[in-house]
Amino acid sequence: MKGWWSCMLAVLERDLRAECRAKERLGPMAFFLASTLLVFCFSLGPSVAGLDGAGAGVLWSSFVLASVLGLNRSFAEERENACLDALLLAPADRGAVFTGKMLANFAALACIQAAALPAFAVLFNLDLGRVWLRLLGVFLLGGAALSAVGTLFAALSSSLRLRETLLPVLLLPVAVPVLIAATDATSVVLTGGQLGDCVSCLAVLAVAWLVFYTLAIMLIDRVLEE
Amino acid sequence: MGEAKVPSRTADLLETILGVAALVGGLTALWLAFVHAPVEASMGLIQRTLYLHVPAAATAFLGFATVFVASCMFLRTGRVWWDHLAAAAAELGVLFSTVVLVSGPLWAKPIWGTYWRWEPRLTAMLILCATYAAYLMLRHYGGRTDGCQRAAAVFGIFAFANIPAVYFSARLWAASQQLHPQHVQLEPRMRLALGVSTVASALLFVCLLDIGVRLQQLADRVAGLEESADTAEALEGAATDAI
Repeated sequence: MKGWWSCMLAVLERDLRAECRAKERLGPMAFFLASTLLVFCFSLGPSVAGLDGAGAGVLWSSFVLASVLGLNRSFAEERENACLDALLLAPADRGAVFTGKMLANFAALACIQAAALPAFAVLFNLDLGRVWLRLLGVFLLGGAALSAVGTLFAALSSSLRLRETLLPVLLLPVAVPVLIAATDATSVVLTGGQLGDCVSCLAVLAVAWLVFYTLAIMLIDRVLEE
Repeated sequence: MGEAKVPSRTADLLETILGVAALVGGLTALWLAFVHAPVEASMGLIQRTLYLHVPAAATAFLGFATVFVASCMFLRTGRVWWDHLAAAAAELGVLFSTVVLVSGPLWAKPIWGTYWRWEPRLTAMLILCATYAAYLMLRHYGGRTDGCQRAAAVFGIFAFANIPAVYFSARLWAASQQLHPQHVQLEPRMRLALGVSTVASALLFVCLLDIGVRLQQLADRVAGLEESADTAEALEGAATDAI
């Protein structure tokens, strides 16, 4: 068990350090997120009423789309230097390797979410003063579910021929329940509701995370097979 | 890539029997649905889409469940036959769910007044259809490798495990749009027509599944032959150069 933790932390630390130095995920993700937010605003029109109602949906659609960019990098950088082969040769539990990568993706997504919040508040005329803590809870839960399934699909598509094209094709339909539940919970919180008002949405997110993570741990050995 | 076998005579015979059974079942179901079952009092003729819509939905789920079981078995045993079964079942799952998505709106136009409503069950079926279409994309564009077969199997398991979440979230999302008839009591002749249609649809599924698996095996054989032809050509070229 100790080996599992140290292996997981080693992978996580390496991913975070590489990210801090190169910023190959955060930079493109942040810019892409900003662009998608703008694209949505322009396509919805300038009327304030229309934008306010669509806020939660716009935000989560942008998160899902931006997360694809980060996820694609997550295993591409392993392939480029044949790092993955070395990782697989190491006498490490692959579940631990997966968990480390998943947490790194989760951290990247969380950074992006935190950074998007002020811009979102300005563009959509929101007062986040009292709701930001609740909003953060929803973001973290939704982000966790999204990173669990996303990291597994990134690993799975990294061995395919059209990997970068296939990742969003595979991820988006499977992520629909997460998207629905997270959007619902976010709009409840934005309209001044408590977390108790959207408990069924939060339950969907928690169960989705649990199911995705458990399945991923069960199946990762077959995904990362050379 | 596994060895593809030439189908034996028993397999041929089985295929014929399945085909005949599906044909007889289909014709009986058509007669029951269009002649034997009475016209529904409030909806009229359009109600008869029920005998296509509901069996197609059940068969689509049969397809999704087959993908799940075959994917699990492929990962366990590594036998290529399971992979072929999963691929064929996914195609049929998408086919039958498309039938559901087409027949539903045709019925809904006169009954609900519009072709499409974002109704929970319809929405869920649409999401599932898209998920399994993504599975087919994965198989088509992923390349003919072991990695792609394993990836498809893992995706097949995820897609099936996601079904409860899809249904629950669709209900959350469109709770106010709940329009599907609930707890319907069918007249006995209608019930018979629906039952026979469901069985006929399942028979058609099995029959098409068998053909689909055989097609996959043949495609594998063709790919194998092409590969060996390429190798032979390369060897020949090398030999000519040497001479």
